Amino acid sequence: MAVTNRFDAIVIGSGVSGGFAAKELTEKGLRVLMLDRGRMVEHVEGYPYDGKPAYEVPARNQMPKPLMDSDYFIAKYGYVSPSNRSFYNDDRLNPYAYDEGEKFYWIRPGAVGGKSLIWGRWTFRWSADDFEANKREGIDGAWPIGYDDVAPWYSYVEKYIGVSGSRENLPYLPDSEFQPPMPMNVAEKWLKERLETQFPGRKLIHTRLSNMTEDKPDQNRSKCQFRNQCGNGCSFGAYFSTQAVTLPAARATGRLTLRSDAVVTNLEYDAARKKVTGVRFVDAKTGQAETVQANLVFLCASAMASTQILMNSRMGGGGRSHFDTSGTLGRYVMDHIFRVGAEGEIPGMTDLIEYGRRPGGVYVPRFRNLKGEEGVGFRRGYGYQGSARREPMAPVGFGKDMKHGMRQYGPWKFGMGAFGECLPYADNRVSLHANKVDRFGVPLMKFDVKFRDNELKMMADARIEGEKMLKAAGLTNVRSYEGAHIPGDAIHEMGGARMGADPRKSVLNGWSQAHDASNLYVTDGAQMASVSCVNPSLTFMALTARAADHAMRTKPWA
Amino acid sequence: MIDRRTALAGVAAMFGTALYAPLARAVGAEGPVGVPAISDGPPSAAVFTAPQRALMTALSERVIPTTDTPGAIAAGVPAYIEKLLADWSYPAERVPIVAGLDAIEKRSMTDYKVAGAKATPAQQDALLTLAMNDQIPGGKTFFEAFRQLVIAGYYTSEIGMTQEREYLPVPGEYNGAFPYSQVNKVYSA
Repeated sequence: MAVTNRFDAIVIGSGVSGGFAAKELTEKGLRVLMLDRGRMVEHVEGYPYDGKPAYEVPARNQMPKPLMDSDYFIAKYGYVSPSNRSFYNDDRLNPYAYDEGEKFYWIRPGAVGGKSLIWGRWTFRWSADDFEANKREGIDGAWPIGYDDVAPWYSYVEKYIGVSGSRENLPYLPDSEFQPPMPMNVAEKWLKERLETQFPGRKLIHTRLSNMTEDKPDQNRSKCQFRNQCGNGCSFGAYFSTQAVTLPAARATGRLTLRSDAVVTNLEYDAARKKVTGVRFVDAKTGQAETVQANLVFLCASAMASTQILMNSRMGGGGRSHFDTSGTLGRYVMDHIFRVGAEGEIPGMTDLIEYGRRPGGVYVPRFRNLKGEEGVGFRRGYGYQGSARREPMAPVGFGKDMKHGMRQYGPWKFGMGAFGECLPYADNRVSLHANKVDRFGVPLMKFDVKFRDNELKMMADARIEGEKMLKAAGLTNVRSYEGAHIPGDAIHEMGGARMGADPRKSVLNGWSQAHDASNLYVTDGAQMASVSCVNPSLTFMALTARAADHAMRTKPWA
Repeated sequence: MIDRRTALAGVAAMFGTALYAPLARAVGAEGPVGVPAISDGPPSAAVFTAPQRALMTALSERVIPTTDTPGAIAAGVPAYIEKLLADWSYPAERVPIVAGLDAIEKRSMTDYKVAGAKATPAQQDALLTLAMNDQIPGGKTFFEAFRQLVIAGYYTSEIGMTQEREYLPVPGEYNGAFPYSQVNKVYSA
């Protein structure tokens, strides 16, 4: 087993968090090794189907069902297709204990860049109340930090990555440093006016998106071209990805070493000094194990993968993790509620259509429990993401009439789906399987996470309110839906190594730093003590930049 | 018809710089490395007998005929259907298609004393209508599946996407109140 110490810091994972950690630490002068379990994907060259229409993609870009069933039976819930499958995990080769415990969709990437290549790109700040709610409501898991601690880091990240959106001055959804918003279409404007009139206090606003509406020539990135093929990789660099944004910055320092196909199994630990001493990984191509040493480790492997690595860093014989003095490691796992919403038809405006394919839509921010408990039967709230569009007319019969009939568009339709906050529960936990391991010897992840009373009541409310709003606004043929409640499905899984002021009740302190190892930071979704109802990636990036700054100021390895 | 490469050259002019590699790259079937392959050549095995294939081909053209734009045959729909049934689906999924073709063939011989592929377009339309209305054994099941296959193959083909419909490789902007009368077509996704 080779042992090397050519690096000042090791970053595990290269997604939104790992990429930012590598950028920040290299720019501050550290020699950084970034490890990722996935295959290498270079910006531009690694996007084989960028710009290609369906007829230039295998199987017309419809995943053949036998392949979906054999290799992408979990990834299919994460929108895998023939054109983007090289960015996804192969569920056959890299399984988890998906058929044990509570049903959970662990949707994983399989490439350098992590989920930054395949994410939904909706980008929101948390509000002050999001950080305060656990404490105010007496829910186990008070945040040790507040909005003011993160706000400057939100600004720092937003200015760098480019976020499009509109200034709204809503205290419960703070504005970012925006580029101009993507336009609403004529049907969304119609709906906005009617919905906001019918429901004072409720808003329908432009999406906030990491797709840019202005160029960033200094980063060699162009604004969004309205292709809406983001998941194939974007050679314009129009949306935030590690490849387009943070990796070039880190490489430009000359201090980054990036190693793909490096599957981290565990962290090595000096209990006397309370420091991480090394990172052990297996080369996925050769099967060779290596241990690398460095003064500082940033663990950014994704919420569940980082938790798995922490749990697997333990004394022999399946003992407790080095990082689990508190007994909370693997607990308080959350995801947003999902698969609930409403849709309907917007009358009129049938002479107008959309030109260009916009990768976004509109947002109805949270309106429930904004001033504390409002007696609606559940805590916290949800927001809806939606858009209005026109589909081609459905086929009728066959032949010339059918063909020419399909040259027309159907009515404007508006659909919106809710993302809502899941509360933290100690018993919503992940654990290492007692006797099943993967091909690298790592025990499989087992999920015992389920939505509970508060989440189910919230979903029911999101359905009812969604239908009510669309009907009141004047839509026709309104229907609402509520699908299965399967955590992971929203791909906003968080928690497992939560932040907290008390080392007896949390894994990380307010700087994303492990209570049990001052030279270890965990800056991805694992650190979250609650989940707000907005999309989380921006907060991970802000907390990562903040943690890197803290590490460089305090030098915890000294 | 929009020529995608012409459109992309326009993009290059807009940037005043060399084209990004994937935009400049010639159209090809490059696949990602180290991920499960998706068969992209001719069908690995024949799904249809010659008469079945001839009938399937003729009926695909009746579902989407040549009008002021090319029809299903010109768009390569029959080859797409056989490829999909051979390599991109489960063997059981071809059964209702093959059975439906056989039932239509039989009915053609009964009604018109001629193989379905040799029947006139009007006779073929009558046979398809019988299937659509489930007046042939397995007819409705066949019709729904077959029409889906033809539609999927046609509107994802180059002809379907760029001639029958309008394709914008790089729209460059978004207009959410664009007059349909300026295009009089549907934009491909």
